[in-house]
Amino acid sequence: MRRTHPLHIITGLLLCLCLLAATARADDGGVALAVKPGDIVIGTSYTGTTLHFSGEAPRGSAIVARFTGASGDLALRQKGKAFGLLWMNMGTVHLHDVPSVYLVTSSRPLADIGGTGLGLDAVRAGVKQEDGAAAQGADVLDVPAELVRLKQHDGLYREGVGGITVTDDGAFSAELDIPSRMSPGTYTVDVFALRDGQVVGSTSVPVRAELVGTPAWLAHMAFDRGLLYGVLATLVAILAGLAVGLVFQSKGAH
Amino acid sequence: MNIPLHMYLPIAGNSVNIAAILGLGGAVGLLSGIFGVGGGFLMTPLLIMLGIPPTVAAASDSNQIVGASTSGTLAHFRLGNVDFKMGLLLLVGGVAGGSVGVRIIKLLRAMGNADFLINVTYVLMLGLVGGYMFFESLQALRAPRAGAASKPAPTGESLYERCIRSMPWQTDFPRSGVRLSLLMPLGLGALVGVLAAIMGVGGGFIMVPVMVYLLRMPMHVVVGTSLFQILFTCVNVTVMQSVENHTVDFILALLLLIGSSVGAQVGTRIGKKLQGDQLKILLATLVLAVMGKMLFDLLARPDVLLAYAGGH
Repeated sequence: MRRTHPLHIITGLLLCLCLLAATARADDGGVALAVKPGDIVIGTSYTGTTLHFSGEAPRGSAIVARFTGASGDLALRQKGKAFGLLWMNMGTVHLHDVPSVYLVTSSRPLADIGGTGLGLDAVRAGVKQEDGAAAQGADVLDVPAELVRLKQHDGLYREGVGGITVTDDGAFSAELDIPSRMSPGTYTVDVFALRDGQVVGSTSVPVRAELVGTPAWLAHMAFDRGLLYGVLATLVAILAGLAVGLVFQSKGAH
Repeated sequence: MNIPLHMYLPIAGNSVNIAAILGLGGAVGLLSGIFGVGGGFLMTPLLIMLGIPPTVAAASDSNQIVGASTSGTLAHFRLGNVDFKMGLLLLVGGVAGGSVGVRIIKLLRAMGNADFLINVTYVLMLGLVGGYMFFESLQALRAPRAGAASKPAPTGESLYERCIRSMPWQTDFPRSGVRLSLLMPLGLGALVGVLAAIMGVGGGFIMVPVMVYLLRMPMHVVVGTSLFQILFTCVNVTVMQSVENHTVDFILALLLLIGSSVGAQVGTRIGKKLQGDQLKILLATLVLAVMGKMLFDLLARPDVLLAYAGGH
């Protein structure tokens, strides 16, 4: 778990303000952006959320909004056929520069506005695979494509059209659904303005996801006081089992 | 009052439907109370389907089994179905076997192709155990019920019995009504421990047939004693996982165990109404169904050819 220092938030906020001020005049090619809510708060009742953002972009441009998590290394089991018959894990592939989350939505299909480089194609192209670690028969498997499918399955990668309204004068408002499967950390919202297949303006705002309340306390216990957490977890389980047993005894007694 | 339908699990990093988790716990607890198995072979894949990472699913499940088996052991203890002496000896053997099994699996992983061996062992074990139990109990159910005391005498039994009798340190196990060498439960416990560690499961479905056929214990005592033993195994696994991997999600386990400890009580009551042979044939069917599912997974092409590391 990474915790961002409060100072970083303040710096980030100041930066946003500067950006906002600097790009208030959308006609000079910049993009102004405001995101609500600024932080994703993960409490006991968190089931995913919707980020709303609005701003101004150059007149007549299409808008692409992107929500990404930090990139990192990922080790995955690769399935293959053993002895030409049985499907099973045949080896481990080590990948670098894999974004934890990658959600993209656009006001018009990415292919129509020349923005495919901003979508999941960018992930497929950007992921680096470690050489030599792959098992036999690995050459036929398109690992980045399979990675994208795996993550799409989990709802962590998504590419779609819609949720964005753009007015004639270049003002836009958008919403993006954030999945329930989120880990705490810092994420980035990027907005790109495209015109004639060119990116004519872009801006980005950091969004923090943090645990609060009971989840935050439990995560702290689990990661920082593992032994105590494990012992308490078993004790509570035993007591709960006994309690249920006793309740049933009194109910079943004649 | 506003009852939330979903709850966020901090370690699993996802939110789940509370009713689904309670129901899942109840169903698996029911099986555990009836058959004396932990039910990890059903629970873990279902949790993964609900969006829980594999490692968290397996670890939280063992935390949950602690609660369910406490509840189940208590219920069976009241019915006089727990042979503590036998259970403890099996446990000692199981712990020793478990640590040997962990070494073996490390060795196999280093040699490569470990997954192939694990999968094939798993399917073969399930098929053999399930198939044998199924046909044996089917025969017993079909046989004319001349008297409860009439015992089938399969060929080869005399040799097996002579072997058992010739072993040193013979002791009485009054609860199970058998007389065996101390080495039998210790050795068989170790064997199951090795297999369970290699296959990454609790081993309830191997332990139950071993107790029935090799230790000759009555089915109802087998179920109670198995639960007693699983309790200790899972306490150990939960604490180890919490310390080493931080993969136990307590909220998930708590939700599951509320369902499963109730399920285990109901299961015990259902089990009491069934005959030993009926219990055996039902468990055999369950084991064969799991084998069928595993075999299908091995033969059918998976949707996605990559998987997150961890889990079984």
